Amino acid sequence: MSHAFLDGYKPLYFSTTEWAFIRAACARLIPSEGEGPGALEARVPVFIDTQMAGDFGKASDWYMLGPHEPGANPLLGFQSPLTPAQIYRQSIALVDEWCTEQKGKAFAELGPDLQDEVLRDLQARKMPLKAELRDFFVLLLQNTKEGYFADPIYGGNYRMAAWKYIGFPGARGAYLEWANDKGAPYPLGPVSISGDRG
Amino acid sequence: MRALVRIIGGLIVLVIVILLGLMLMPMHRTAAVTNLPAGYEPPAGAGERVAIAADCAACHTAPGGKPFAGGRVVETPIGRIYASNITPDRKTGIGNYTLDDFRAALYDGLRRDGVHLYPAMPYPSYRKMTEEDVRALYGYFMNELAPVEASVPETRLAFPFNQRWGIRLWDWASLPPAGFRPYMRSAKLDRGAYLVEALAHCGSCHTPRNGLTFAEKGYESRSADFLTGGVIGAWPAPDLRARDSAAQRWSDEQLAALLASGRNETAGVSGEMALAVEHSLQHLPKSDMEAIVSYLKAIKQDRPIADASAPRSTPAPTAQQLASASPQLGLGARLYLDNCNACHFATGKGAKNVFPNLDGNAVVTAKQPGGLISLILNGDAIPSTSERPERLVMPGFGWRLNDDEVAALATFVRQSWSNAAPAVTTADVAKLRGAVNTTPW
Ligand code: HEC
Ligand code: HEC
Ligand code: HEC
Repeated sequence: MSHAFLDGYKPLYFSTTEWAFIRAACARLIPSEGEGPGALEARVPVFIDTQMAGDFGKASDWYMLGPHEPGANPLLGFQSPLTPAQIYRQSIALVDEWCTEQKGKAFAELGPDLQDEVLRDLQARKMPLKAELRDFFVLLLQNTKEGYFADPIYGGNYRMAAWKYIGFPGARGAYLEWANDKGAPYPLGPVSISGDRG
Repeated sequence: MRALVRIIGGLIVLVIVILLGLMLMPMHRTAAVTNLPAGYEPPAGAGERVAIAADCAACHTAPGGKPFAGGRVVETPIGRIYASNITPDRKTGIGNYTLDDFRAALYDGLRRDGVHLYPAMPYPSYRKMTEEDVRALYGYFMNELAPVEASVPETRLAFPFNQRWGIRLWDWASLPPAGFRPYMRSAKLDRGAYLVEALAHCGSCHTPRNGLTFAEKGYESRSADFLTGGVIGAWPAPDLRARDSAAQRWSDEQLAALLASGRNETAGVSGEMALAVEHSLQHLPKSDMEAIVSYLKAIKQDRPIADASAPRSTPAPTAQQLASASPQLGLGARLYLDNCNACHFATGKGAKNVFPNLDGNAVVTAKQPGGLISLILNGDAIPSTSERPERLVMPGFGWRLNDDEVAALATFVRQSWSNAAPAVTTADVAKLRGAVNTTPW
């Protein structure tokens, strides 16, 4: 499948190798094969890159002054002294290093089955990532879903493809006339924040 | 041949003499309409009340500026006119004005130095002020306000409008008699007439103007044209007298609610009317508001609305069409669903006391579509008033709709439900698209 747009895209935050990792990982989390658009068709990597370059990546509005207990029970919430952008950067480097050692190639070069294996290991915390980077997979999966379903104004969900796929009618303020029609599909395509009509 | 040359020469000389006369002849200042006894003192607080009812601050306070220190631009058909600093500062304000100078500004549109003021200053309405109110106002401006030193940029209009002596011709042709002579059935109605015709200068927006001089076609209810609908900037200021105008259809309570609180069950004020309510009308004593409402009801005219299209005899099935959410809907309907339906709903009726009704709304069906277009492009807000403290905002959509889309949407709104107004063109929209934010944040 050709992804000319992603090929031509100049990442705001990620380096060339990091960008290759993100594209490959997103493509496994929401694959292009099968029903509906994949993460690449929906331009999810652009969403993640934009987020990393922006307030979310910089944790601008998070409490980041410590005390930090990165090893604390995850139920106590985010405890890392690192920002999401730093977590992505450091984790991608470590995962690629690990893949090269264990499987002979960087993550992006591996075949889909091996990539799935690596992602599963990451999710199951089988990979030796230090506590500060513990949330990497959680962030990656969460941001991929967000990029898939968020309004296209944030860079992903290109042409509202994900919304059209699930029949979500978009950022149209009210559906009063449909409130009692349980289960009837809404006939009209979605609308985005910037007013695009699908 | 020689005779003809002589006649033409003579005519030219005559014209020059008349022009010189016009330019140089001393101005006529109207004298006090009532001789008040020596030592007359206006009642305490009267001056401030008159200033509020007359909304002097509307033009004489710049956005974010000190009260009455001037500098606000009044947009007029002939150009941008700066309102003066009218604080009692001697250098930059009106600190040197005598009572007679002040009255001449209000009655005759004359500045202290004898120069004619542009009728952007609504002296044709203020000319009806009683001497008691002139005195009260003078006392307020001279003694109760602190002087503010603030120079106002000089108004520079293009030729011929920069020839201020020409306004003299305008004044001769246009000005009504000075002072207010009661003419209605009761003291209450006369109070209403005085407030509407003189102080609140409702006519300066709501009365049509003649095409030649832009003067209002009438200054009191005995003129059939008075308050039958005018234009202010690109906005319609609706007809208030026709039997099917909103002002006449609404009950007294609903009309009073709109004027005093900025909204009623089906409508909210917008554009310049919102400013009039925010700065002036909401502060009027209850008795004055009742007088205004009684007066407006008393001057009803038994005719269809003048400045807007008549409603359809059978309403269009718009609500059902919108509710179908069919992909077959035209662009205008689709845009309505995408942008407006959330607040104004498929019925167009909005929500009681919150979102105005668009069905039969005079701003929507007006001959002048500029108010509707501006609302769509820039949004607007019902101001916070003491009775209704919550400011209700309609967002602007100029950043997400292009001119073709705004035209299609405005046309849809103008032709839906019982509305039957002519289409809006892309060019109409382009004219009004100013420096609008292109993003919502
Ligand atoms: C609709 C706008 C408007 C309102 C309302 C208004 N004015 Fe003015 N006024 C103007 C403008 C504009 C000028 C300057 C006109 C010009 O330069 O020819 C002006 C000029 C004046 C001047 C002349 C000052 C000078 O020396 O330059 C006085 C005095 C004055 N206004 C008093 C008042 C008072 C008192 C009220 C309230 C009763 C009032 N105005 C309400 C627009 C307004
Ligand atoms: C500065 C210009 C201006 C002045 C002064 C003004 N109006 Fe308005 N008025 C407007 C405009 C513009 C609208 C249309 C926008 C809206 O509906 O709020 C309007 C709307 C109205 C409406 C609603 C009409 C309808 O059909 O929906 C009423 C009633 C009204 N004005 C009454 C008055 C009265 C009474 C006065 C004087 C006490 C007055 N206005 C003074 C500009 C003005
Ligand atoms: C978020 C809610 C909201 C949305 C969406 C909205 N409006 Fe409004 N609308 C309002 C409110 C609140 C007012 C009252 C504001 C005012 O009068 O200044 C209003 C007022 C109006 C008025 C009447 C002004 C008057 O004086 O009578 C018109 C016409 C209008 N809206 C048209 C539209 C159109 C067309 C759209 C779609 C582009 C739209 N509105 C979308 C909330 C909304």
